[in-house]
Amino acid sequence: MNAIVRRNWLLQGIAQVGECGLFFLAILAALPKSLRHFREICRQVWFVGAMSLVIVMTCGLFVGMVLALQLYYTLSIFGGTAALGTVVALSLFRELGPVVTALLFAGRAGTAVTAEIGLMRATDQIDAMEMMAVDPIAYVVAPRYLAGIVAMPLLMCLFNALGILGAHAVGVSWLGVDNGTFWGNMTSTVDLWKDIIDGVWKSLAFGGVVTLIAVFQGYNAPPTSEGVAYSTTRTVVFSSIVILALDFVMTAFLT
Amino acid sequence: MPSTDAAIESSHAREPLVRVRDLHTRLGGKVIFDGLSLDVPRGSVTAIMGPSGTGKTTLLRHLTGQMRADSGSVSVDGEDVARLSRNALFALREKIGFLFQNSALLTDFTVFENVAFPLRQHTKLPEVLIRNIVLTKLQAVGLRGAAQLMPSELSGGMARRVALARAIVFDPMLILYDEPFVGLDPIALNQVLRLIRTLNKTLGITSILVAHELAAIRQVAGRVYLIANGKLVAQGTPEELAAEATPWTRQFFGGEADGPVPFHYPASDYALDLGFAK
Repeated sequence: MNAIVRRNWLLQGIAQVGECGLFFLAILAALPKSLRHFREICRQVWFVGAMSLVIVMTCGLFVGMVLALQLYYTLSIFGGTAALGTVVALSLFRELGPVVTALLFAGRAGTAVTAEIGLMRATDQIDAMEMMAVDPIAYVVAPRYLAGIVAMPLLMCLFNALGILGAHAVGVSWLGVDNGTFWGNMTSTVDLWKDIIDGVWKSLAFGGVVTLIAVFQGYNAPPTSEGVAYSTTRTVVFSSIVILALDFVMTAFLT
Repeated sequence: MPSTDAAIESSHAREPLVRVRDLHTRLGGKVIFDGLSLDVPRGSVTAIMGPSGTGKTTLLRHLTGQMRADSGSVSVDGEDVARLSRNALFALREKIGFLFQNSALLTDFTVFENVAFPLRQHTKLPEVLIRNIVLTKLQAVGLRGAAQLMPSELSGGMARRVALARAIVFDPMLILYDEPFVGLDPIALNQVLRLIRTLNKTLGITSILVAHELAAIRQVAGRVYLIANGKLVAQGTPEELAAEATPWTRQFFGGEADGPVPFHYPASDYALDLGFAK
């Protein structure tokens, strides 16, 4: 059976997904125990969240700015530039905020988590914990997983906020859209539950999936420098594919 | 009935702490153990020697339940390790200290936090007490002054001593040392030897050493097991083994290249490989 699986890349992929699912169950089982390591969870939120602030905020600003430029051009064809604030906000809250933040998060925090756990495995630290009767899933994996789920929606909110500020700077200060129209149209059209909270759901799901891929790849990385390098790459590749595919599915269900 | 208690206690004490019976293990198609059996008595210091690649580290991993053997049994403190549930296994491991070949210190933590880690995970001792225990253990390995350093700032020998302090922080019943003497300078080596002896004499801690340093082993070990080709080939006190004249011991303790253990990994003809012969 195993020999057949090893030869066929499709079966291998399916087997990996299955292993990842079992790993997810192991994390869930270890969650109650990991809540005892509260300090470790906070440290990880800081590590994956606070350390990603600069990249997420900078990118948010630029995405908002370019969005305003492009949408202003499109809207001006129909003479609807007054709707700029609304369109920018909806694009960010419903789509770009969750997706781009998740992609950035996979590149910045996901890779770091994979490499860290992979190196802990390679330097016997995971084995040492097992030997000290400390469950590495509860102490190493679960806190990072929780941290990813907590950090992602918060990062997305900041991404959106900076995006709207960037769009305001370009739209109002540069292209001359009226300030009152920009904010007024936005606040009257954007719905808290339908638009903003839907984005938060997406973001939570992406946080869960990206971090699961990152910890799974790290935990199962071959204990060599090449192995850790491959696993880190796989984290980014798999995360990106899953984020975009899941985004499509969730959008179809949520709207 | 004190007499019965004493009798039970003495029979308990006579029973070996570690009992390995008819162990068979294969790793990646290679036979590692082929019917290995050995006993480690309570309160002893036992050295396990053998050529590289004979599975000495694998044997330690069998003892701690990190690896399961294909067949045969391993029991520690009367419990069959392979049959324990995860919780029972963790309970057993709390009583075992393990010194890793490459120290395996947690790189995010300082030396102090590394040694305190098992205490913090398994006890609710007040911080003052934890501090005292940790500093005592660090003092024993001569690194109390290095308590606030990070593992990356330590030399290999210092890291090993920190790992040793961490392994003994719980005063375990059994300590497994995987190559404890590698990378130690003569001063540190002597201190570590003295520490192993002290732990054994004062606290009665059983120690199993996997090592190659014959001179060091002679100073601490009461018993040596020589493993080769998956089997026990010789056993006895270090003196007995050194005096014994079987081909195994002669080659191993005399360091000869030729004998039952081939020095060369199996290869094709040398001259043929270099292209000098047809």
